Amino acid sequence: MASNDYLRPGVTPIWCLGCGLHVVLNQLIKIFDDLKIEPIVLSGIGCTGRSAGYFNLDSVHGLHGRIIPLAEGVKRARKDKEVVVISGDGDLLGIGGNHLLHSSRRGVDITVIGVNNSVYALTGGQLSPTTKKGMITLTTPDGSDVEPIDVLKVLKSNKKYFYARTTPVHVEHLNKVIKQAIEWKGFAFVEVVTLCLETVAKKMGLNTPAKVYQWLRENYKIVENKDDLDEFDLGVVKSD
Amino acid sequence: MKKVLQGNEAIAIGAIKAGMKFYAGYPITPASEIMHYLAKQKDIQFLQTEDEISAINMVIGSSLGGMKSMTATSGPGFSLMQEGLGFAHKIRVPIVVVDVQRVGPSTGMPTMTSQGDIMQSRYGSHGDYFPIVFYPNSVEEYFKYTIEAFNASEESRTPVILLSDAFLSRLYETVDIEKIDFKIKSRSFKPLGDEKRHFTGLLSEGGVARTRDYKLYRRWIENMKKEIGKVAENYNFFEYMENKDADTLLISFGITSRIISPLKEKYSIFRPIRLFPVLEEEIKEAAEKHEKIIVLEMNQGQYKKEIERILRMDVKLINPVGGRISLKEIRGELSGV
Repeated sequence: MASNDYLRPGVTPIWCLGCGLHVVLNQLIKIFDDLKIEPIVLSGIGCTGRSAGYFNLDSVHGLHGRIIPLAEGVKRARKDKEVVVISGDGDLLGIGGNHLLHSSRRGVDITVIGVNNSVYALTGGQLSPTTKKGMITLTTPDGSDVEPIDVLKVLKSNKKYFYARTTPVHVEHLNKVIKQAIEWKGFAFVEVVTLCLETVAKKMGLNTPAKVYQWLRENYKIVENKDDLDEFDLGVVKSD
Repeated sequence: MKKVLQGNEAIAIGAIKAGMKFYAGYPITPASEIMHYLAKQKDIQFLQTEDEISAINMVIGSSLGGMKSMTATSGPGFSLMQEGLGFAHKIRVPIVVVDVQRVGPSTGMPTMTSQGDIMQSRYGSHGDYFPIVFYPNSVEEYFKYTIEAFNASEESRTPVILLSDAFLSRLYETVDIEKIDFKIKSRSFKPLGDEKRHFTGLLSEGGVARTRDYKLYRRWIENMKKEIGKVAENYNFFEYMENKDADTLLISFGITSRIISPLKEKYSIFRPIRLFPVLEEEIKEAAEKHEKIIVLEMNQGQYKKEIERILRMDVKLINPVGGRISLKEIRGELSGV
């Protein structure tokens, strides 16, 4: 398929202009095209949850938090197909956290792209499992008083794992690590760190997409061959 | 050849005969023997999931992927599956969900028998939908109607609920399943993977979300109701034992209908096997020939309300609840009517 054929005709993403999700969508199309694959694409609920519906492929937009088990069911029935989940931090790590724990432990061969904008964005910006300590959200008016979840540590509780962290600003890196994740035999998780423009970035004084991109570029650094990642490291950590 | 089989085993065997290729479930008494049996089968995929929410979503996924799929649970797990059931109706995916009822609410009386999930099987998920629900009453029937549940599910492209209860699921009876005739409905749509379809919980047309379009919603809901209703007509399962001398009709199903079967000497008995959509015409016709109608069920009158709605009259309820049912007690209550 040509790149444009991967986009479902008649739909326009609901996302804000300048949101990192546009980059993720764009890159996934490039990746599928480069790898010459037509995967089954699935999403849960939320801003990122709308992703599956934008691909002109067999796709599923499932229940809030439950897309990983649904994708596991699909994969078990279609072992011949690549299965790619794209969903948000609240969906995958909050309401769906239990399924992440167990599907990753079972090692089902799916790729999960978790776009982490650090809040529940579609519902207006409430505390999510990845909200940084001290951050003000609609439901933490005095700042969150708990540390965010560390997905890498969760995945590392398994013997075999693949975890990558990237951002929409580090485009080549994002492209490379998602390809590695799709090619990984087993459960692979890619965390794409971004900031919700409306409900997070503005509170940080980053009131344009350009400033958000600059902030991501200045704060996050690509590292190689580490078996752990610090808070602002981007890279791949895996164990076979 | 005749064999001694348990109700739960008959469900598992029926599912395999129906062409089930994938089972996911979470242990819960009194449904677990279904998964114990299936775990040993080599020609199907079996998975014990982390919870019932995972199980229902996984069988939705495997069914979309082209495999006939089933899960089984009891009341507490059935409650956890309700959101998934609504989703499966919305995206029109065939699955079979077995609910072996026990006394609730909550953990209740583990694991005494009950018929407390009648309304949950029909109205448990949010929004409007129109499930097909079967409730057999013998081991042989569990084999047969598990197959029919798969058939109705494939034909309607919706989840079909197979109700059981702790007594029937753990009842052992002699059955010769090789002598039972059945037909198999095959899958009517292509497995997920090679087309360009979008299965979404959102109101959509042609894969494009149209969540503010009230006209589309009205068209869509009427269409779904009509389609499922039409398929259900092919599965009008019931048993009517008319007693020409009786002025009273007993309406009962599941374990209660088994217990009261000796009463056919004195009463007429109507036993719906398809509980939903309600067999309105058949029940009305049976009721017309009788002065009194009595519903017997092990709950606070869940199906009685359906009967009153159809007949537009008050009907009497006899409801041995709390996990205990005896013919003697029922006879006593009937003599007071």
